[in-house]
This record gives sequence, structure tokens and C-alpha cells, in this order.
Amino acid sequence: MRRAWSCQRGAPGHPRVGAAGTPDALHQGMRPWLPVLVVCGYLGVAAPVSAQCTSSASSCVTCHETQGLRPVLRSPQPWHADHAFADLCAACHGGDGAAAGKAKAHWGLRSPLADPARACAGCHSSDASARAERYLSRPPAPSPPAPSPPAPSPPTPGAASSDRHAAAAANWILAGLALLLAVGLAVALARRPARPRPGLASWLRQKLWSPYLAGALLGLVVASSEVVWGRPLGVAGAFDKLAAYPGRWLFPHSQYYRYVMTPGITWQVWLVLGLLLGAFASSALSGEARPRWLPDTQWQPRFGPSRARRLVVAFVGAILVQVGAGIAGGCTSGLAISGGAALAPAAFLFMAGMFAGGIPTAWLLYRGRPR
Amino acid sequence: MRATILPALLLGFLFGWSLHKAGLTHYARIVNVYRFTDLTVLRFMLSALAVGAVAIAIGGELGFSARVPLPPTTLLANLVGGVIFGVGMAGAGYCPGTIVAEAGEGRLDAWFAGLAGLIVGALLFGLMQPTLMPVLARVGALGRVSFAGLTGASPWLVLLVFVQAVVLTLVLVARAGRPAA
Repeated sequence: MRRAWSCQRGAPGHPRVGAAGTPDALHQGMRPWLPVLVVCGYLGVAAPVSAQCTSSASSCVTCHETQGLRPVLRSPQPWHADHAFADLCAACHGGDGAAAGKAKAHWGLRSPLADPARACAGCHSSDASARAERYLSRPPAPSPPAPSPPAPSPPTPGAASSDRHAAAAANWILAGLALLLAVGLAVALARRPARPRPGLASWLRQKLWSPYLAGALLGLVVASSEVVWGRPLGVAGAFDKLAAYPGRWLFPHSQYYRYVMTPGITWQVWLVLGLLLGAFASSALSGEARPRWLPDTQWQPRFGPSRARRLVVAFVGAILVQVGAGIAGGCTSGLAISGGAALAPAAFLFMAGMFAGGIPTAWLLYRGRPR
Repeated sequence: MRATILPALLLGFLFGWSLHKAGLTHYARIVNVYRFTDLTVLRFMLSALAVGAVAIAIGGELGFSARVPLPPTTLLANLVGGVIFGVGMAGAGYCPGTIVAEAGEGRLDAWFAGLAGLIVGALLFGLMQPTLMPVLARVGALGRVSFAGLTGASPWLVLLVFVQAVVLTLVLVARAGRPAA
């Protein structure tokens, strides 16, 4: 974890004494950080897209809920809570949940209860008017105020402007402290006694990196994805989108595939393709990319050499994993890591569930086996 | 749309690279985190979380973000989904990301059972979603919130506490893994 953040201060200006103190060693000492520098440079170059609203969810949710411009889900009006199990906004309100700009997203907006036959019948074909009656009979809450222009809200909204600078300084000091802790500790933990530093080429060919280093790289990738592009680093969502192609064909009457999960080659799908390529590149460089049917270790001593057995277990496991991710709202990357890095309670609940399910399963499968 | 393909591919590439370099394309490594015999997954995830959280905060200060995507917090759905996920993960040694990474490494079980299972699982969830989610997603639905948004605490204080908790966990895990001298 040396100089993880040097990109922000100009990397070449920070000489480090290498293993032998030679310029060459110095040079090599810096080299492993090239990928990190690339990520940081990319973070710096890419234009912020704060004027747009896009995410893996509909842009309605991104603007109204995530940015809090005009939140509806916690309003006293029951219909929003009743339909909050999916991104259904466009199904009732019209508009375009995939559009990035406000004008385009609001094109064809309608007031659902003004014309329930049209707005609700898409899903509730038989009893749309009866359901609308139920809502109409309740007194609606006073209409929310017009949305204020989206201003970037400071971390402490209540602070007077004269205190802003002091608050900002305190924030910077806190952030620096947190960063130092993370980097310093990782340095201490990742350090091995007198290990010769590899050159860039052999470093890229290594089979394993320190998990702290690989994790730090993933952390920068997640942050870049969320802060620059406003998207979680989700994998499971891509498979939901891909499965919608056969899903729409297999279940032509499914409301889910008609309104909630429409097929598409989205950002997440390209992300997954990149993931495939990245793992291939890394394993090819380290000489580990080769076709094989069974895990390299631990599987065969426990479950035997049968390919069919592995395929069945892998198939069922993958189904469980995808269903679980669907219910929870994301997978290890899209919810646990992306949501966790954004400090959302959902991610930590999910991780608690993961261990609550995983520990007994592993115990059952490896009961009485040596560690 | 086309302009976003390249960054998505690049981010995915680095994601896959980091997964492989951390050794998470191995069945044993995923399963053993649940047996507490190999905590690489925990080290990898916690490092990613701490660095990611700090980088997101710094990125926000640099003016990048007004809208970091937040997952919806629904107590029951998050927990129940997590339990099902954990059972599959510990059973097969898979999570969606590592299935794709294993496929990239050439593992045929990932190609023919893993990827197929993800698609079938997605279809299965699609069938269950209309009846299941209205029930599950209503218990403890707090919306798309962060800890800071939920409690009203300073996001910086939350960040600091989180990073310190992660670092402490990593240190304790490293100590526990080291044989007593």
C-alpha cells in the first residue's frame, strides 16, 4: 500500500528509497502503482455528469429519491408505498424512466388517478377502476412543494455560510485522517520482510496479489463507478437484464417482464463483459487460463471426481445466488461492496444475511472434516 | 449510450483483474471464508469497502458527486436475500461476479453451470417477484438511505468510524491468522 494516493499530489515528486537505494530500484518501486495511477487519472479526466440522472434503477428513482429532489416513497400517500417494490414509476405516470435529462424523462407525464383506466389498466387489467376508487376515496396529502433547483448540498446543510470554511476544513482533516489510517494500516499489514521488488511485467504476471492491494484497487473502481458515473458496480443486475430476453418470450403475460425488468444491453452488461475480459487477461498473464471442469483444490477430496456432480452443485448454487441477489437488491459487488462503500445499511444487512446463510451451509458440507 | 460502453468495459476489466489477482476465482477460497479457514475474501472486501468509502467521500469533495447511488434498505428483503445468497455461495463457491471471473479463467463449470444458473435464477426471481417482493420489501422499508441520512449524523463521522472499524477488524483478523510466536 505504498503511495496509494500519490496520484493526487504528483507521483514523480515523491522519491522513495528502493530496496538497494538505487535509481533503478526507486523506479521499480513506483511502477506497481501504474494501474492505480491510471484509475486516478481516469477519475480526474472523466467529466462529472451531475446534470444527468442515470443509474441502474430508473432515472425517476435516481432524481426523486436518491437525490432527494422530490421524494415520494415516504409520503403519506399509500399508492407509492404500495408500488415501491419495483421501479414502476413510468408504468403509472408515463414519462421515460431511461431518459437522462429532465425534459425527456418528463415527456408524456400524466396524472395516474385522473385517468385510471389508462394508467392502471396496464397491470390491473380486470379491476383497475375498483383499485383506483380505493385510492381516490382517501384524502390525498397536500401536494408537495415544487422541486427546488438541484443545488449540491454541503455535508452540513444547516451550517451558516461563515462556518462553511471551518466545517470544510474539519471535513478535510477528518477525511485525511481516515485515509491515513486505511493506507498506513494496509502498508503495515501488507509488508513482507525483505522481499525483492518485481518489475512491472512480472508483477502483472503474479498469480496473486496481496488481498489488501487487490481490494484497494476494487475500492477505487467502485468509487469511480459511483462518483463519476453514478452507478453501482453490480453484476447480478446484468443477468436480470439478459434473462429478460428469454423471459419476455417465455412469459408473455408477465407484468414483471413487461414493465419492471425490460430486456436491454445496459451499462451493467458491458461491465460484466469487461469483468470476463479482465479475469481472462489476469489469468492468461499468470499462466492460469486453461479449460477445466473441476475446482483445483478441496472439491475432489470432498466430493469426488464426478463432473456431473460439480455441474449440478454449481448450477443450483448459481440459481440460489441470483435469486438471493434479486430479493436483497444486489449481489456481493452490487450491494455489499457498492452499497457498503456508500455506507448504506442495506449492504450490511445483506452481509449479515450472507454469513447467516453461509456458515451453517459450509458447516453442513464439511462436518467432521479436518480444517 | 455508446459513450458509456468504454468506461463500463474498463471498470469491469479492472474489477475482473482484481478478483483474479485476489485469488477469488477458486472454489476453496470462497467456501473457506465461511469455515474461517481462509479469510482472503473478508480481507479483500473490507479493503475495498474502506478504500471505496474514503474515495467516494473525497470524490464528492472534489465536486464529482451529487448522487452516489444508494441501494434501498428493506430490513427483511436484505436479510432474507442475503441468507439465500449465502447458502448458494457457500454451497457452490460462487457469487455472480466470481462466476464471470471463473468463466474468464476458462473454468467450464462456470460456463456451463454457473452462467446458466444465473440466467435460470434470474428467470425464477422474475416469476416470484410480483408475489414475493410486495410482501418482503414492505417490512422495514427505509428507502434509499445511508447511515448518515438515516440517523442525521455527519457523514464524515460515519466514515471515520467505519474506516476505523474496518481497520481494526483487518488487524484482528491478521493477528488471529498468525501463529503465536
